[in-house]
Amino acid sequence: MIRKVWLLPWIGWLVSLPAIAAWDVNMRPGSTAIAREVYDLHMIIFWICVAIGVVVFGVMFWSIIHHRKSRGAEARNFHENTAVEILWTLIPFAILIAMAVPATATLIKMYDNTDAEIDIQVTGYQWKWRYQYLGEDIDFFSSLATSREQINNEAPKGEHYLLEVDNPLVLPVGKKVRFLFTANDVIHSWWVPDLSVKKDAIPGFINESWAIPEEPGIYRGQCTELCGRDHGFMPIVVDVRPQAEFDQWLADTRSAAAAQKASATQEWTLAQLMERGEQVYNTSCAACHQANGQGIPGAFPALAGSPMVTGDIGAHIDIVLHGKAGTAMQAFGAQLNAVDLAAVITYERNAWGNDTGDSVSPQRITELQQ
Amino acid sequence: MPDPKKNGLLTAVLSALAAMFGVQSDRNRQKDFSSGSPLRYLLTGVLMAALFVVGVILLVRLALMLAGA
Repeated sequence: MIRKVWLLPWIGWLVSLPAIAAWDVNMRPGSTAIAREVYDLHMIIFWICVAIGVVVFGVMFWSIIHHRKSRGAEARNFHENTAVEILWTLIPFAILIAMAVPATATLIKMYDNTDAEIDIQVTGYQWKWRYQYLGEDIDFFSSLATSREQINNEAPKGEHYLLEVDNPLVLPVGKKVRFLFTANDVIHSWWVPDLSVKKDAIPGFINESWAIPEEPGIYRGQCTELCGRDHGFMPIVVDVRPQAEFDQWLADTRSAAAAQKASATQEWTLAQLMERGEQVYNTSCAACHQANGQGIPGAFPALAGSPMVTGDIGAHIDIVLHGKAGTAMQAFGAQLNAVDLAAVITYERNAWGNDTGDSVSPQRITELQQ
Repeated sequence: MPDPKKNGLLTAVLSALAAMFGVQSDRNRQKDFSSGSPLRYLLTGVLMAALFVVGVILLVRLALMLAGA
């Protein structure tokens, strides 16, 4: 009985196999032809590694145990064995070539960006993504939708905590989509595992990749190049829809953009601007200046009671539109529309006890943007 | 056993090949190190490294040509 004690860890390992499988540590099979090829390559190479490990460690442990000193083993002292050395050089060489051939075939397919039916420019910002459907007149930002309360542990976390956005990237089923990646500030990386797309977004460079989504559904991803404080707060959501629904979405999004433009010429009351401004603030400003306007001492200035926000209105508009060089303050004039800019500036001038009573009209912003 | 002075170039080429592959028998190593000037081995090694680089370039050209790129 005592002699079989060494079996115990192995029995434990065998019993826990189903638990290891359910642990979900393996690569995901993905949902496109390329993703499945990548997954299959990953599994083939994994099993090759397992086989090498079993053979090498098997021979090693058998030798150690079989030739142990207590059985009177004598070491043989010799300098070299050319035949064995040639063999153990050729075998890894053959294994590497055998793995490289199918891997290269898949890589060549992944780099074939020709014949795309839709071109989308993806631009990384600190900390959100911008999607421009080239030739379709569609251009929008996609920001984190998880509430600040959830992030600050003031509310229970939702099912898609930090993996949800306000405007997902919408794609049609079965069409080859080419992505053109770049960035506005620092290096980001756009990664959606189910589509098998992972590409760096580098300022001043255009990187390409492509995907043919096969199944309608929601696919989630993240930025995968450390890009600053909110690197983990700029997720990617891809919403794949059947062609008819995608066409409907294109039409809806265009008319919504037109309505947005029209609303910039309407009159807005202070209450309307405040309500909208709070939403814009929480999506675009609260990451640094915080939802309560207190900022983060030493890193991001407070807006509550700030002379910039309660003083000259022209200077306030200028810093929001054009940013502040040498700081993390971005130029939001290119990111938000006139109504959102007017609303958020109005909100900042009246929230958190900044009761200046000032109201900025979208028309004033529109004039400055021209 | 052929005269080592006569087949000096061939010996140098074989030794350089063995070095590139990473396996050489001790007997050949002792022979190489006792055969006088190392210059022949150095030059052969540099030349064969250059040939290897040219060979890889040609191989890639051929592969790209066959792939129709």
